[in-house]
Amino acid sequence: MKAKVAVVGLGKMGLLHASILSVLDDVELVALCEKSTLVRRFSKRIIQGVSVVADLAELYGMGLDAVYVTTPLPSHLPIIKAIYTKGIAHNVFVEKPLASSYAEAEELCNLTRNEGGVNMVGYNRRFSVTFRKAKQILDEGTLQEPSFFEGYAYSSDFLGAKMGSKTSSRGGVISDLGCHVVDLALWFFGQLEVERAKLESLIGSDSEDSAYFKVRASGGPLALEGEFKSSWCMESYRLPEIGLLVKGSNGTMKVDEDKVELKLDDGRSFLWHKHDLGDDVSFFIGGTEYLREDELFIGSILDGSNAEPSFQTACKVEEIIDQVKRVKENSRGNEQ
Amino acid sequence: MNSKKLLLVGDNPFHGISHLSQERATSRGNDLTHPSYAADLVRKSLENGADGFMFTVSETTLSILRIISQGEGRNRPQLYAIVPYAYEFVRLAVLAGGVPGLAMKLAQQIAFSGNWKAIVNGLRGVIGTDPASLLRSYILYEASRLKSSAGKKATLASILLHEVVTDMALALNIDWLFRTHIEFMLDCRIKPGFETRNFAYLVKKFEEWGIDFRKVVIAAPFNPLGFQMCPSRDECEEALTRTPEAEVIAFSILAAGYLKLPEAIEYIANLPNLSGLAVGVSKEHHARETFRLLKEKL
Repeated sequence: MKAKVAVVGLGKMGLLHASILSVLDDVELVALCEKSTLVRRFSKRIIQGVSVVADLAELYGMGLDAVYVTTPLPSHLPIIKAIYTKGIAHNVFVEKPLASSYAEAEELCNLTRNEGGVNMVGYNRRFSVTFRKAKQILDEGTLQEPSFFEGYAYSSDFLGAKMGSKTSSRGGVISDLGCHVVDLALWFFGQLEVERAKLESLIGSDSEDSAYFKVRASGGPLALEGEFKSSWCMESYRLPEIGLLVKGSNGTMKVDEDKVELKLDDGRSFLWHKHDLGDDVSFFIGGTEYLREDELFIGSILDGSNAEPSFQTACKVEEIIDQVKRVKENSRGNEQ
Repeated sequence: MNSKKLLLVGDNPFHGISHLSQERATSRGNDLTHPSYAADLVRKSLENGADGFMFTVSETTLSILRIISQGEGRNRPQLYAIVPYAYEFVRLAVLAGGVPGLAMKLAQQIAFSGNWKAIVNGLRGVIGTDPASLLRSYILYEASRLKSSAGKKATLASILLHEVVTDMALALNIDWLFRTHIEFMLDCRIKPGFETRNFAYLVKKFEEWGIDFRKVVIAAPFNPLGFQMCPSRDECEEALTRTPEAEVIAFSILAAGYLKLPEAIEYIANLPNLSGLAVGVSKEHHARETFRLLKEKL
């Protein structure tokens, strides 16, 4: 059996997922939906055997099993709502982050509760072999009790960008880039709560370009504190870099997309590069994580299981981002 | 016994890339990405056995070519140019708010280049919704940038489509793109090439589409670890046995710095049908030792 799938939005991520879906044996890529006339006209000429449509409503009646939403962030809520309410498909994958705000994310979670089906958000770092190894080390208790972590997400994407650059449709640096490391920290440690936050505008007054915030574990036995740093205006980060340093009662672990380093208090130390961790895929495009992510989503649809990170899981990232903004507002009020 | 292999200097270090550790690439600082430092390394590599330079076409690598063309040294290095510089395109798309914004920026660059053939092909492409004309327009634009930077001392041996383009086109079954690139490059008397991380899949598709392997250059990862040899080392090696006529150039021979050069050489030396390899160097003594050893052993 093949899952019939459509992709909405033909930007970088839409093309990436459309390509991966085309090589998966259990997928039939049926349609592409794009509102730009220029992109649509050329896509029709370039990609054969797939319907290219302008409007979401045209996907209705295609018998779709799933839709991938890879449009700019502000359109996630209306598009996903339309997919469910118009009966276009029962299963939805959306590129990260889930929504523009915590309120919108909650609205989407409520929709999925009524709708059922498989839903998933593209936090692809969970599918990186190094972060999976780090999660395994934490779950096995090798570090014993984690007491502190530092998460970072840096890129040079907007280094030297001028005012008027299109940062707003990306929702600010935490929504665009920092959300990955927030998702990883939530996956590693469970519920967190923001205590202090600082956001900086480097490009324009309405642009959130750099963020720093402190958190502590909430709702559990962990006496854990942590901090996040993210910026998309850093020098020398040709590729985005995401990583975490974790201190536990038995040692320290550093993890990024390339490697995991573990130093235990008894003097033992370990280093795993991604080469050591079975980083193989059947088709490589954009990185190995994307294929694994898509395989999990499609596999879950076909065998009726849940896929993680689901909308419910990703909603917790939005909750943290919302807290950052509120804590920052409060501290500004106190300063005044 | 294999014939002598083509030895190319790779450009990853000059773009600040280390696939073993991005942290390492960041901490290396800016020396490596400085064109005059990088040009010295390329020159040193050429003096010690390298036959040419394989690079993505960017402002950095064009500057390196300009410096090399002005200096003394070994004549006519062979250039294997990869287009487009995907990282810069993604960054431009981010800054311009998406694919339509990127298309506008690129159209402006081509229009202001003064390259009439590129402009005419571009106009034909836009008016007739003809992606093949757009591809020709873009390649002409890049070829003219390359030739004006490299000067007459270099030989533009091949223009390869970047792995992102190649692998997306493979996945989406866009066979006309491969045919268009091959035909157009052959008309320009430049060997058409394709960079891929899915070598076995590409070979299968080319066989299916009846593409003549004699006409193309294929650049793909080959290393004893099987790193990024998709779907597996065995399948890529088996595909290599089916392409005796293609010019296949190995990259990632050190598995992104994970392996030592002698291990890579032992593996490469025993692979059939491999025409050459590209390897990056980051220091003068690396350049000297790497290419001396490669020249001696391969």
